[in-house]
Amino acid sequence: MVAAQSTRRRAIILLVLTAIILITLDLQNSSAISGLRSIFGTVFRPIEGTTRVVTRPVSNAWHGIFDYNNVLDENDRLREQVAQQEGATIAAAASVRLAQELLALNGLPTLAGINAVSAQVIGNSPTNFSQTVEINQGSESGIRVGMPVLNAAGLIGKITKVFTDRSIVMLITDPDFALSIKVVNAPRATTTTTTIARSNAAVPSPVVPVDPGSSSDSAVDTTTTTTTTTTIAGFTPTVTTLPAVPSGVSSITVPLVSELAVRETGVIEGRGPSRQPIVRFVDNSLRFGDIQVGVPIVTAGGSQSLSPPDIMVGKVARVVERLGSAGPILEIELVADLSNLSFLRVLLYQPITEKPAP
Amino acid sequence: MASRWMRLVLVLLIVLSLQTTLFTELRPFGVAAQVVLLMVVVAGSIFGVAIGALTGLIAGLMYDLILSTPVGLGSVALGLAGATAGLLIYFFNEPTWWMRSIAIAVVSSLGEIYYPLVQATVGLDGWLQLRLVKVVLVVAVCNLLLSPLAIVVCRWTLSERKTTL
Repeated sequence: MVAAQSTRRRAIILLVLTAIILITLDLQNSSAISGLRSIFGTVFRPIEGTTRVVTRPVSNAWHGIFDYNNVLDENDRLREQVAQQEGATIAAAASVRLAQELLALNGLPTLAGINAVSAQVIGNSPTNFSQTVEINQGSESGIRVGMPVLNAAGLIGKITKVFTDRSIVMLITDPDFALSIKVVNAPRATTTTTTIARSNAAVPSPVVPVDPGSSSDSAVDTTTTTTTTTTIAGFTPTVTTLPAVPSGVSSITVPLVSELAVRETGVIEGRGPSRQPIVRFVDNSLRFGDIQVGVPIVTAGGSQSLSPPDIMVGKVARVVERLGSAGPILEIELVADLSNLSFLRVLLYQPITEKPAP
Repeated sequence: MASRWMRLVLVLLIVLSLQTTLFTELRPFGVAAQVVLLMVVVAGSIFGVAIGALTGLIAGLMYDLILSTPVGLGSVALGLAGATAGLLIYFFNEPTWWMRSIAIAVVSSLGEIYYPLVQATVGLDGWLQLRLVKVVLVVAVCNLLLSPLAIVVCRWTLSERKTTL
């Protein structure tokens, strides 16, 4: 009895020490641990697959009992949403194509030029303290650690572990997730509609700001050619020449450079499934102005970032101002619904700094 | 002696597969029930501190190998949970079934708190938040309900059998 107790005590000490050594090794990305995981995965997957098949009727019954009404409600809501978005999608697709053409013309990187692998979600995290999903594509498909993962709406996370035929995706909501992003602040609300007022060809016509809502009935027999020149210190003046319009008052919006969207970079961090992710390190500069709720958040890109630029992440849900010179913290409403993921797209993108030397 | 640990590993493989499939799907109030933790706690409550800790360390190691968190964290957390279960039941001379069930529920709650605590010690913080209360309550209730079945399985798995010649 005493001998058995002593053996157990020794076994416990040995296992605790082993656990500590394993934690240390794994935190340093030891290849031995990766190998161990891989071997265990090979043994465990067939058992898991069998259990999944056996228990599927039980989980189906569970979802049938507890989720049926939710699914019906969601279905109605989604139908309405689809109807609302059908028109907007066509317009947006055209805009995206135009933007990509412009980027390509200027030699700038676009998402269209990056290869992607489609994958299906085959499992969620079994613990309550990890926000990950497992997908059915791995290193065989060219997936590497760090690659960004999207669904139809936008960014959902990044690859954190890769096996031969499967990978683990860390979701944006995981507290360990961090990625550099851009906050695209909307221009200030001042209206700058520049209108060509009635004038005679012989008389120089002043450029008069007009209320965009005002009627143009009073304007007749006008020459409507004008030049708007905007000069900003440190910036090349922009000259916009408007074509002649035969008659009437034309109201043409010419955005000033100062009114174009301003971008600032920050870092998005997850905070668990029950709280919205936040963005830190946004510089509260005068140029950037007040951050408005609803402005979009997109990935920043760059040679150090794991993600290419301009992937939609979400929009600002709340701005938490801080005292002193510290910039605000932004709470982000994600565009992707992370609670119901099924098909994902892994962008086979690696920043220049991560690419192996030829 | 060796056979019961071999049995434990085989049973834990099945329990682990249930954890990653069925109990990952059925999430009452958005929380996954923790059957691996349940097995460890039951082992501790029936067989004492040493067996509970050993079961926790082995189960945790197996659990870690399928998670993306560092290997060894689950071992430490579940090992602690198994030992706590053994310690708690030590105070009752001959625990009745309901005392054991309550002890299992209480230690399951503690075991679920150990995991984010251990994560925090290696810098993986951010999980100690208000949601933990809900997680702990749901896990405790689920484990309380599943404990009768787990006790039967655990007794069968870890009992020492005398070989007859």
